[in-house]
Amino acid sequence: MIELKEVTKIYTGQSVPAVDSLTMKIEKGEICVFVGPSGCGKSTTLRMINRMIEPSSGTILIDNKNIKDSDPDKLRMGIGYVIQQIGLLPHRTVAENIAIVPRLHGWPKDKINRRVDELLVLIGLDPETTRSKFPSQLSGGQMQRIGVARAMAADPPVMLMDEPFGAVDPIARNHLQDEFLRLQREIKKTIVFVTHDINEAIKMGDKIAIFNRGRLVQYGTPQDILSRPANDFVADFIGYDRVVKMLSLFRVEDIARPVGCTIEPNELPNAWNKMQDYQAAVCFLINSAGEPSGFITGDDFLKQGKDASPDVLNKIAGQRKRAFVEGDVLLRDALSLILEFNTEYLGVLSGNRVVGVISLGDIRKHASKKEGD
Amino acid sequence: MDWMRVKQALLERAPEALGVHIVMVLVTISIAIAISVPLGVLLTRPKYKNLGVVVLNILNLLQTIPGLAIIALTMPFLGLGLKPTIFALTVQGLLPIARNTIAGLYGVSPDVKEAALGMGMSHKKILYEVELPLAMPIILAGVRTATVYVVSVGTLAAYIGGGGLGDLIVTGLAMFWPEFLIVGAGLGAILAISLDRLLAYVEYRITPPGLGT
Repeated sequence: MIELKEVTKIYTGQSVPAVDSLTMKIEKGEICVFVGPSGCGKSTTLRMINRMIEPSSGTILIDNKNIKDSDPDKLRMGIGYVIQQIGLLPHRTVAENIAIVPRLHGWPKDKINRRVDELLVLIGLDPETTRSKFPSQLSGGQMQRIGVARAMAADPPVMLMDEPFGAVDPIARNHLQDEFLRLQREIKKTIVFVTHDINEAIKMGDKIAIFNRGRLVQYGTPQDILSRPANDFVADFIGYDRVVKMLSLFRVEDIARPVGCTIEPNELPNAWNKMQDYQAAVCFLINSAGEPSGFITGDDFLKQGKDASPDVLNKIAGQRKRAFVEGDVLLRDALSLILEFNTEYLGVLSGNRVVGVISLGDIRKHASKKEGD
Repeated sequence: MDWMRVKQALLERAPEALGVHIVMVLVTISIAIAISVPLGVLLTRPKYKNLGVVVLNILNLLQTIPGLAIIALTMPFLGLGLKPTIFALTVQGLLPIARNTIAGLYGVSPDVKEAALGMGMSHKKILYEVELPLAMPIILAGVRTATVYVVSVGTLAAYIGGGGLGDLIVTGLAMFWPEFLIVGAGLGAILAISLDRLLAYVEYRITPPGLGT
């Protein structure tokens, strides 16, 4: 756990503090994202935690130990550090770069070698081909991954990451973020993560700390911040698509309801009655292979009449052949699909079987839900 | 052209003169490195950063004094022979090495230093394991410049009894023996070129793999 108490930093020659009496707690095993416009004090705060910058006043505790009591080099050896520019040593191989901190700790050689290979596998690179490469032979994304592996080498409980994925292209960044989240589920480090991108903050953070002009403006879970922005600054910083952003915190499976009613093509003439019997608003059309090939809704009968011909119903259902999503799709993407197909419902798939249904109404209800409701 | 004189110059005088010249250059460059590199390191540390400009200016000034003038100036204090010669040559060799050491150390990417510091490497470790290896090609380029320079200025040592290839040139001038002139100056040129090539090779070998091409 990291605790900051009344931490202030005033750079020499400046009258306005870069960080102004900041007090906050970062819980063990969580990713805490510092986010804010440039010059808001987020990087300064991060760099005070490993004493790359000394605070002008205030105390910082890591696991209840004042960081001022430990030697700066020893302190940093115990804290993983990743920066945007990565800073791999260009004259050292990948293996030697990853081995820096273990070597400082004086690990025996074979233990270091084993750890290097283990980390390379963990970050998805082949040890055989990567180990003895030089940084100049790697792609930007690979370098970034080596930077993360290097920071994790001696298994530090705390990691500081200053815009770690800022220098790679959007596709690689997305990929690295996903990979890192997967990794974090296994390693459970306490991570302080700095970014200026609110979307990255929402995606990566267990907690988000929004900074402005050296002050902590709001600190809470992504849902908390999205549903209850503390002031206009936070609301502006999040943007007009606040609610859509919130939908990216949830997955289809979180709100899916069970399938009410299914029919086979030969039952189409009887569809209305079957839906009445099941009191279902949606009825999925299942083909002979058991796969869904569309659905019809109560609204369709309102428009076409109760006695709509099977051909018409079949055609309507067929237009929604693709209006299905997997359970792990984000609600934001599901909403997009609902708008695209101009329907009220989406089928939820598991493999090629339909297992549930979500409606626009459910998404709307979920979007207005506050944390804790 | 008197072939006997060429033979005399090449076989009787040249071996010793060349030997003395090489010793002179090696000793001078060693001393210059021993002074300039630590000086360059010191002047790039945050504590002494402000001194850097001052020291570089002083060295620049020393560099502008002609080699012969320095040799003449040191004679009253250190007398005749190899000692004042080496002193004078060292003064001339300091600047290129110190300047390149400073440039090389400043050229090390701040990101690399920041990452090294953030991982818990001490400043001393960063200097020896990161900064110096990365600056080494540029420092060596400075040594090359200084070496070639010292080989040529070293021929002036003959005027204060320092010996070396300058002896052949002085003799040639005094006796109107062009053969001695050619042998002395020619060997000097060959020495300068060979040392330059040798150091270029060392530079190539010492450049950390993964840097450059």
